[in-house]
Amino acid sequence: MSATLPKKPPLDKLALRDVIDLSLWAGQLLLQHGAESARIEETVHRLGTGLGADWMDILVSPNAIAVTTVSGEEFRTKIRRVVSIGVNLRAIEQINSMTQRVIAGELDRVQVRREIEQIVRQPRQYTRWASVVMVGLSCAAFSQLFGGDWPVFFTTLVASMLAMFVRQELIRRHFNPLLVVIGTSFVATIFASLASRFQWGEQPQIALASSVLLLVPGVALINSAEDLITGHLVVGIIRGISGGLISLGIAVGILMGIRLMGISGL
Amino acid sequence: MNLLLLFQDAFWSAVAALGFSVLFNVPRRMLAGGMICAAVGHAVRTFLMQAGLDIVPATLVGALMIGFLGIGFGRYWRAPSLIFTLSASVTLVPGVFAYRAMLGILQVSASIDPAIGGPLLVEATTNAIKTALILGAIGVGIIAPRLLFLREKPVV
Repeated sequence: MSATLPKKPPLDKLALRDVIDLSLWAGQLLLQHGAESARIEETVHRLGTGLGADWMDILVSPNAIAVTTVSGEEFRTKIRRVVSIGVNLRAIEQINSMTQRVIAGELDRVQVRREIEQIVRQPRQYTRWASVVMVGLSCAAFSQLFGGDWPVFFTTLVASMLAMFVRQELIRRHFNPLLVVIGTSFVATIFASLASRFQWGEQPQIALASSVLLLVPGVALINSAEDLITGHLVVGIIRGISGGLISLGIAVGILMGIRLMGISGL
Repeated sequence: MNLLLLFQDAFWSAVAALGFSVLFNVPRRMLAGGMICAAVGHAVRTFLMQAGLDIVPATLVGALMIGFLGIGFGRYWRAPSLIFTLSASVTLVPGVFAYRAMLGILQVSASIDPAIGGPLLVEATTNAIKTALILGAIGVGIIAPRLLFLREKPVV
């Protein structure tokens, strides 16, 4: 296959090392921030060839990436372990536009390194308190969509804001991700079940169903479907299983909550 | 169909999507895209359900709308379409069905009398199947527009 490619000048050892380092770094960021497999493969390939390599081979696995870069007679392979650390679509967008600029020939290796370092170093756009309020509003909006009334709306609002705060604290203290889910859904359920206990509103059980929605593994499930459809079966299956496990964690938290509060929940 | 109700539906879906966009750290200037996707997608689903369609095909059409709009916004902002579709698709997630399925299964495990457990099992299973089908419809609906429109020769 490399015979059909237009000949590029072969990269020296140092340049080859740089190319694989940078493209693998970009791939790692995409994987840990929630991109789908096809996007990771394509981006790493375009980035590497855009920086001067003849060919790139990428293997995306659920928690690691392996990349081989080829230039002239030389090749290099590198593997990096990747731990998912939460969805960050801004980083994905920035790597996407950086890759487009590399393809257009606007960026060289030194500039790409500076760009990636900047993407890694930048803080999140929204403060933690903004997230707490917005996520609370989001779950409360769900209670409206499910047909809840105003008492249910405000119960859900407070329950999910409390839950989001607890979730941030648990993540900060490096608890196991599944334990974080169980703890968060437990806290949300404890508060939301007050509506059922004291009959706030017409259908207080809507508060129970809505206030845990901040935990819904939407990205895992959507990416799973996408990976399965595009033929990245292994990653797709693993993502589906991790989405299922998170849902199970939500269920365990709700169960503990409603049993403790002594309500049926239905 | 009451137009005001449909408008409320769109409004609350946009609010729900905004919260998830903040959670997913969507770039500020693109927040509106996800909100519009969610408002249109969810309102279309509600409208179709009011018109008598089952929730599963209605979700499929709603998710397709989100997918198509996502491609349009992706071209407009020169960004990956998942930035708009991810937070919007969360609004279609069948929270209440999933919740009822889960609690129903737990109730079945607690009931000893098969005369009571039987109907409970049927109801719980129905809810579980609905949940699974709706999730599948969301996945297919979001991705199908990209498979139809963004067909480039694979680079890898």
